[in-house]
Amino acid sequence: MSTITQSMDFVEITLDGRAIRVPEGTSVFDAARMNGTPIPTLCHLQNETPVGVCRLCVVDTGGRVLTASCVRPVEAGMKVVTNSDKVLNARKTVLELLMADHPSPCARQEKSGDCELETLAKAAGVAQPRFAKRTLSRGKDDSSLAIAVDHDACILCDRCIRGCDEIKNNFVLGRMGKGYSAGIAFDLNAPMGDSTCISCGECMVSCPTGALTNKTVLGTSIAAGKDTQGFEAEELLQLPVFKGVSGTFLELNRGAIVKRRFRAGEIICREGEFGSTAFYVLEGKARVSLSAPIAHVKTEGGGKGLFKKLTSSLAARDTDVRDGEARDKTIPIDASVDLAYGNPVAELGPGDLFGEMTCMNFYPRSATVIAETDVVAFEMLRNVLDIMMKNKSFRAQIDQNYRRRALENHLRGVPMFADLSPDFIEHLKGSVELRRYAPGQVIAQQGDTARSFYLVRIGFVKVSETYPGGELVLAYLSRGDYFGEIGLLGGGVRTASCTALDHVEVVRIPGDDFREMVERFPSVRQGLEAVAAERQAANQQRMQTVQSVPIDQFLSQGLMEAQSLLILDLQNCTRCDACVNACADAHDGITRLVREGLRFDQFLVATSCRQCRDPLCMVGCPVGSIRRRNSLEVIIEDWCIGCGLCARNCPYGNINLHPFEVMVEDLERPGRKKAVVKQKATSCDLCTHLKEPSCVYACPHDAAHRVDPRTFFSEMLGGGTK
Amino acid sequence: MRIDKTQRGWAIASLAMMMVFTGVYAVYAANVPDRPRGGSAIGLTFGVIGFGFMLFAALLGARKRVPTWRIGRAQAWMRGHLWLGLLSLPVILFHGGFHFGGTLTSVLMWLLIVTVLSGLFGAALQHYLPRVMTIDVKLETIYDEIGNVRVLLREEADRGVEALCGSLGLGKSAKEEMQRAGGFTAARAMSVSKGGASVAVATETVVLTDEASAPLRTFYLGEMRPFLEQPRRGSRLGNADKAHNAFAGLRTLMPEPAHGLVQDLEDICDEARQLVRQEQLHRWLHGWLLVHIPISMAVIVLGAVHAVVALRY
Repeated sequence: MSTITQSMDFVEITLDGRAIRVPEGTSVFDAARMNGTPIPTLCHLQNETPVGVCRLCVVDTGGRVLTASCVRPVEAGMKVVTNSDKVLNARKTVLELLMADHPSPCARQEKSGDCELETLAKAAGVAQPRFAKRTLSRGKDDSSLAIAVDHDACILCDRCIRGCDEIKNNFVLGRMGKGYSAGIAFDLNAPMGDSTCISCGECMVSCPTGALTNKTVLGTSIAAGKDTQGFEAEELLQLPVFKGVSGTFLELNRGAIVKRRFRAGEIICREGEFGSTAFYVLEGKARVSLSAPIAHVKTEGGGKGLFKKLTSSLAARDTDVRDGEARDKTIPIDASVDLAYGNPVAELGPGDLFGEMTCMNFYPRSATVIAETDVVAFEMLRNVLDIMMKNKSFRAQIDQNYRRRALENHLRGVPMFADLSPDFIEHLKGSVELRRYAPGQVIAQQGDTARSFYLVRIGFVKVSETYPGGELVLAYLSRGDYFGEIGLLGGGVRTASCTALDHVEVVRIPGDDFREMVERFPSVRQGLEAVAAERQAANQQRMQTVQSVPIDQFLSQGLMEAQSLLILDLQNCTRCDACVNACADAHDGITRLVREGLRFDQFLVATSCRQCRDPLCMVGCPVGSIRRRNSLEVIIEDWCIGCGLCARNCPYGNINLHPFEVMVEDLERPGRKKAVVKQKATSCDLCTHLKEPSCVYACPHDAAHRVDPRTFFSEMLGGGTK
Repeated sequence: MRIDKTQRGWAIASLAMMMVFTGVYAVYAANVPDRPRGGSAIGLTFGVIGFGFMLFAALLGARKRVPTWRIGRAQAWMRGHLWLGLLSLPVILFHGGFHFGGTLTSVLMWLLIVTVLSGLFGAALQHYLPRVMTIDVKLETIYDEIGNVRVLLREEADRGVEALCGSLGLGKSAKEEMQRAGGFTAARAMSVSKGGASVAVATETVVLTDEASAPLRTFYLGEMRPFLEQPRRGSRLGNADKAHNAFAGLRTLMPEPAHGLVQDLEDICDEARQLVRQEQLHRWLHGWLLVHIPISMAVIVLGAVHAVVALRY
């Protein structure tokens, strides 16, 4: 930063008769703004590229014509006049022309009185435009659930388009038509609700008029209760955490945020339940914990009687060590704290936000939260939380809480960072940056220069590599995972693209800090290098594979993505279901295999875990308990809360939920325990407890086989897949 | 199980054993003064070996009850069942010197013959029918689910026809699943639409007038729905060629917007027909066991009785 400051050149200009000094390259608009002379504008926003289309910001620079100040850079000795009659008349004419086509009052003006065009027109004394109004309507689009579009109120400033493209990188909005029919369009002029718009709201926030407004959607209000207090926008704005939030927005989202009072012992939310709200603690203390047993499903037995089935039980990793099991000390949850593996309980207090993933991405609750003392908290829906997160003061507070309470645990949760010294952690607390990304937004682009290292804090990141003819998903990363080390340690170039799958927040460690870290702590360097080498080797192997398989059907059935398939040779199979019965017998009566699925040639690809290379089941796990071993086999860690999201996400229906009766603390009657049925997600474990998959072993007709599809079908696919 | 080259090992071993047994029997039969008897040392040995083979073959059922026990792959047990079970018949014939003896032994012999023949019949069925089913029943589902899939097919057809013809007073199902036989393989959307613009054109639902929809309603209510409720191979829709002709004829009577639905209905009929075929093949594949298993159990029980009686008395 200091280098930039030292090399910066300044120029002197005259602004309305005053001599001012501004950095070279500054726009006239910014120069005036920095020196206390705001210039009205409609098409310009500070965080968007200036385009100078509304011509409202015109100033006189002594040239032949007035110039749009937002796109005109200052020049040494330039004399700028912002308030002459000529300038003011030009602006007034522009406003008159715009108002002639504007349905006054527009939706925004009507609801909250802050349409920028109408406000400026009123200030400029434009009452009845001299020009004829538009005769043909450009229409309205009511197809989106969240945003109303009134094309007649659009002034073609393009702020929404730049917001969509430049800020959110969604590239949904663009221009269509010519002349009077010109307007904004979603995708290829699709109705907004049918387009690829993700309703991030950036266009609506950017729009200066009532062309894009937030719809007050009926039925989205949070259910009220006896200890619930709703708000009017004015009341909310008086609270410190809402400082800077748009009053219009709060007015339009009345009911989407309530203040709740929970008495000591009352349950605020339960793990595994689906929800759509986040909580922000104002007063009191709450206890966050996991009630699901921290254990995995273990099946054993078999020799206890001629017809006795195997029995499944729950076993913790201390008593039953599985290959490739995580040695994490913490369990990531949807709050500003992580839970300890041995004692999954933590405390939340004033200023803490929890349920963010549930609210933003509709994932199940990751933990149970109980009021320890009387707790007062805001409960809010996604639209409110999203805007709150864009509010600097609220955001700063959340960031500060995270840095203070969870960053260290989060960093140390990565095994190779365990050796970082406390002073370096302190240093990182000050230098790391928390960054948020909307669904689909690219965090790092393959081929770009690597400048940072990232730790995933919230959400899921897809790592993919492009190759001639397609894209291959290499991994899904969730909370506690990291990326960016290969580029920083290697040639300085990103080897893969990392894209936010949902609402993602990452901890960004700048490249300089990363380099200092690996220099100061050789063990960290060694660990990262080893992981980078492993990842690169695995990626190369996958790329070689994908480039050598041309069969469309093989690809369209997702078989390419599978590492291990249970296939039944239909020419041998007598449909006796011995495989299914064997699977059920091997897993305490609950089969993990269904003899149905897609056919490939003469083989039935049975419904049983495929150990996909693109494991969609892992996306969304609220506690990150489903992951892959180094062998890329799926493993479900002990802290699975049994919410069932992975089972729903698996496109092949290959994950089951296994119920167990366990004794847990009775939340309604503290100090007492009660028996409840808790579920644990299970998938095919290849019968590792029996050395060979039971379905294959028990098939009397040589029909069932567990195969690597690339090897097994290599002859059929032209022999090039091994 | 297919009888193919993977069976070569068992076939050669069985043939070798057969040759040895035949040789032994030939020498024995040539040298006994009277006729070969089951009570002689060699006859008794044949009896023990034959009964041992039968017992091993019968143990396949028990083996299947404990699929997780690592006591040999089920495939090996099945091959042993086939070949040793088959071998048990000539060995028992050698045991009795090709005489069926008294009442008990005669019954036992006939039961053994029926058991072996039914086993051969079953092996032949299980050799051919899986291939036939794979080819004929592309939309195969789990056998026990056929009834449910049939209901879903009928509901899907009802929805499609009512969307086009208006309400027909058919009972609505609470289930709205589109699950089809063959699971997600066969899932297809049911829609009646027109228009061909490429960009963002909403699907337009068409409802025909009573007059225009009359041929479809008559066909559906009079012929197709009864077939979906109770498919019979004897009906016109139970035959692929006749059904194709029926739908081709219906297509000529219906306006163009209905052709998509007619195609869907034809597909549904095809699927229902496949399910009928699956049921039929499934019954052949496993029905013979209703004869084979009880008789083989009787053979084991009577064989044990015969052994005790013969040795004791």
